[in-house]
Amino acid sequence: MKTMSSFMLGLAFFILPLPTPVFAHHGFAVEFDKDNPLTLTGTVTKMEFMNPHIYFYLDVKGKDGKVVNWAFEGGPPNVIYRQGWRKDTLKPGDVVTVKGFRAKDGTHLASCSTVKLPDGREMAGGTGGASQNAYGSAVAADGKK
Amino acid sequence: MKNYFHAPTLCAASLFLVLLFVNACGGRGSSGNPQAAAPPDLNGIWSAPFTPDISKALGHQPPFTTYGAARFAKEDEFDDPLTKCLPIGPARGIQAGIMPFQIVQTPAVLTILFENQHTFRIIHTDGRSHPKDADPTWFGDSIGKWDGDTLVVDTVGLDDRTWLDTAGHEHSDQLHLVERFQKVDNNSIKWTVTFEDPKFFTEPWSITLPIARQNTEIMSYSCEENEKDRAHLRRTKK
Repeated sequence: MKTMSSFMLGLAFFILPLPTPVFAHHGFAVEFDKDNPLTLTGTVTKMEFMNPHIYFYLDVKGKDGKVVNWAFEGGPPNVIYRQGWRKDTLKPGDVVTVKGFRAKDGTHLASCSTVKLPDGREMAGGTGGASQNAYGSAVAADGKK
Repeated sequence: MKNYFHAPTLCAASLFLVLLFVNACGGRGSSGNPQAAAPPDLNGIWSAPFTPDISKALGHQPPFTTYGAARFAKEDEFDDPLTKCLPIGPARGIQAGIMPFQIVQTPAVLTILFENQHTFRIIHTDGRSHPKDADPTWFGDSIGKWDGDTLVVDTVGLDDRTWLDTAGHEHSDQLHLVERFQKVDNNSIKWTVTFEDPKFFTEPWSITLPIARQNTEIMSYSCEENEKDRAHLRRTKK
């Protein structure tokens, strides 16, 4: 029924939580800047599907033509495994687009909120049970008390 | 003819038969109530919602003492013991959320196995009391008693090295935890934890979170195996 499906779509939009970086190892605000988002496209050079956070590296070509290797930090592997990640979800040679937030220390490091894979799928980078965040997820993201 | 209806013999035999009958019925306690039913089965894989700031679960900041308020104002997430890969602590481990825990229940002991850093809690349910003057430890000394459908767990002997959450709510070695694990149905436990710490809080205070059964298995988490964050962390306060 058209009315019902519109209603359900609206409800889903209302209640669907935005991807929220969830770090158990440390708070978000101690490492990343919520006011400095970025989107980068590059070629995967390395994938570390390890604890406490997955790390993967992209060769990103800048506007000046120079290639800079960026590091991205995601959630713990067991957490994102439950969201569908496997250790070969990202492979060296894959061209991917990553959305995240820049590290506060100014290095070529960012958090990974989402990754768009070569097959078009968009994977959450480490939200780890965003639907379970009954309390305080906003605090985890911006570090405010 | 010998009299087989000797009165004392008859009485003894009757008493014996009565006792046999009573025993076959399963016995009755001195109060006359039926034998206590077996406690609920809490075995399984569980998780409570990730609660990085427990004041959000409470609805306001806890009732800090002057000392507690000063500590909380100063504390920086940079100093989170979890960031140093140190143990998560008994209550924070429950509300770690993104990492589940497994309960293994026997009559004498209930263990909570945290995915986080392969740590665990041992809750003695054999009727023992807390030891006197126990050395404070990361997870303390826990004893549990069943109250109907609820396991009541009392924990003392905690040292002050853990945090209660990511936001920096701390405690001292005087922390006394009382938890109620009430089995609501086969997939839910209502968990209420009361924090009592006269050094940090003017009175005990409680939060309640739902613990839900998880369709997963406990996986491995080793915090140090590829730790790269610490070099990039910055203090959030000056």
